[in-house]
Amino acid sequence: MKIVVAYKWAPNPQDADVAADGSVDLGRAKWAVSEYDPVALELARQLADATGGEVIGLTVGAAGIDTPLARKAALSRGLDRLVLVADDALDGADGTRVAAVLAAAVRGIGDVDVVLAGDSSVDVAAGQVALTLAGTLGWLGLAAVSAVRVADAGTAGLVVERELPAGTAVVSVPTPVVLAATADAVVPRVAGMKDILAAAKKPVEVLSLAELSVAEPGAVLTTLATAKPGGAERTARIFDGSDAAAAATELVGALRQSGAL
Amino acid sequence: MNAAQSWIVVADDAAATGLVEVARTLGTEVVAVVAGRRAVAEAVAGVVDRVLWLGEPGTAPVEAFAPDVARLVAEAAPRAVVGATTPGGRALLGAVGAALRSPVLAGVERVELAGDDVVVTRSVLGGISQHRTAVAGGPAVLAVDAGAAVAVSDTAAAVEEVAATPLPAQVVEVRPTTVAGVDLGAARVVVGVGRGLKAREDVALISGLAGALGGEVACSRPLAEGVDWLPKDRYIGISGQRVSPELYVAVGISGQLQHMVGVREAKVIVAVNSDKAAPVFAQCDYGIVGDLYQVVPALTAALGGTA
Ligand SMILES: Cc1cc2nc3c(=O)[nH]c(=O)nc-3n(C[C@H](O)[C@H](O)[C@H](O)COP(=O)(O)OP(=O)(O)OC[C@H]3O[C@@H](n4cnc5c(N)ncnc54)[C@H](O)[C@@H]3O)c2cc1C
Ligand SMILES: Nc1ncnc2c1ncn2[C@@H]1O[C@H](COP(=O)(O)O)[C@@H](O)[C@H]1O
Repeated sequence: MKIVVAYKWAPNPQDADVAADGSVDLGRAKWAVSEYDPVALELARQLADATGGEVIGLTVGAAGIDTPLARKAALSRGLDRLVLVADDALDGADGTRVAAVLAAAVRGIGDVDVVLAGDSSVDVAAGQVALTLAGTLGWLGLAAVSAVRVADAGTAGLVVERELPAGTAVVSVPTPVVLAATADAVVPRVAGMKDILAAAKKPVEVLSLAELSVAEPGAVLTTLATAKPGGAERTARIFDGSDAAAAATELVGALRQSGAL
Repeated sequence: MNAAQSWIVVADDAAATGLVEVARTLGTEVVAVVAGRRAVAEAVAGVVDRVLWLGEPGTAPVEAFAPDVARLVAEAAPRAVVGATTPGGRALLGAVGAALRSPVLAGVERVELAGDDVVVTRSVLGGISQHRTAVAGGPAVLAVDAGAAVAVSDTAAAVEEVAATPLPAQVVEVRPTTVAGVDLGAARVVVGVGRGLKAREDVALISGLAGALGGEVACSRPLAEGVDWLPKDRYIGISGQRVSPELYVAVGISGQLQHMVGVREAKVIVAVNSDKAAPVFAQCDYGIVGDLYQVVPALTAALGGTA
């Protein structure tokens, strides 16, 4: 089975500086494999090990996503090889464009059975790219996937479990298929020294955007204004809890006085 | 582009008031395409002008109809397409976005029309900033919170059945959730607990405090997804519930933005954390720096409850 994992190399907005006008400076933000994508990488490895398959990492973005650190971070998490599309024309690309580039790369890789992805990315967090990728490819795309296994002998395809609001659904799916994993589907491995050393020797293919055929966008976004989100500015009154009873009495008093209780 | 129309895409779920509200703002005629059971199509028919229904799904998951939905929307080329942020909703919107080559905008807070352009106010980057974005040159595709179930109406549009060719996939089993749902949105006080809690049994401590405050227990994501100490509908944040109680108490929660976005509208926020450098202290009105295992029983006692 040939499995592609679409993962994102992304900045954590937790460390962003947001100005009063809502403009965001990500200069201090730490870049990493997007928080939940290691779950997809692990699911892919387990599925490949069960079927004797291959796992190919795939990520797209601005030129800055291709660094030795970024390559190693992905390759040490159970990938066999890596395919990158790193081009500044993709800086700030919307999810549909990202999905179109991913789809072109998946077609280029060829004979892919399964694309696995994360639940949602740490920065954009729309939970949309994997499903738009499925739409672009014309494949079935399922989110909220908590488990994947190969179907019993005699039946083709996969059996996936999904955590939906109504309960757990078990779905029998043919391949090719795109699956977006829940954040807790499996516990991702912690890369050891051996994995990190092995990562340096794994093949990496860099595709240029120009060589992929990606359709032009059908609608154009223009940012008219930015703002810092509302919500009260809060200045904390802090109580020292080393004497818990005294702190509790003070807090309850303050809450009663302010009318919160 | 058919500027008079806006479409909603319905993924087998009559919880669609949010979708209809947004679609009404953006078009004079609202057309629904419904993937799922006839009952859902009939419910939706009460609140829109036209309903296209893709037929009984049988064992097919709603996502199997995504290509049919995308085809119908692309043929009509409406000014806006609105769907839900649920897993099924996002799958339909993904196919629509791909067919129209249009971005699917999430975090939608407000929509308006400026001439022929759709203007969307949305929260971006996990809620740290808010953008006003104009969509031009093609349909706007919007993922919005589904809202409540549509109200039953007796002046319903006809349900027009359209032939569909769903992708092959079969739901072979559904194990319904057994835990009763909770309406955190209605609670006056919410006590949220995070990874500062050491053991599942200790949730009782938090329930004790919530009881003394007359409130509900909630949590951060890791306690609901990962360790399963609390049901998923009790976690707060960007991918969980958003609440606006009079009082939110964050216990053993570090205050990552993905969590805090869910309580931004709380009137008063209290934090209890043993780490005085925890980000939550920069986002609260009152804080106690201390061990929750001492502070929570003390608080419960000070409120007259039993710790
Ligand atoms: C795309 C995306 C979506 C996400 N969506 C959500 C979401 O909707 N909701 C959500 O909550 N998270 C969400 N997260 C996760 C979020 O980023 C944080 O990882 C999570 O909120 C942290 O939970 P926590 O505060 O309980 O745990 P931690 O960050 O581990 O914090 C635990 C805190 O407990 C304190 N503590 C430890 N022991 C004690 C003690 N004895 N007494 C008092 N305090 C103690 C520690 O000082 C620490 O501050 C999302 C992440 C991503 C990437
Ligand atoms: N630039 C990208 N490259 C590869 N995969 C991506 C990219 N962006 C998003 N994804 C995948 O899509 C998932 C959902 O992302 P999002 O729609 O941004 O929330 C992520 O968890 C990744 O698995």
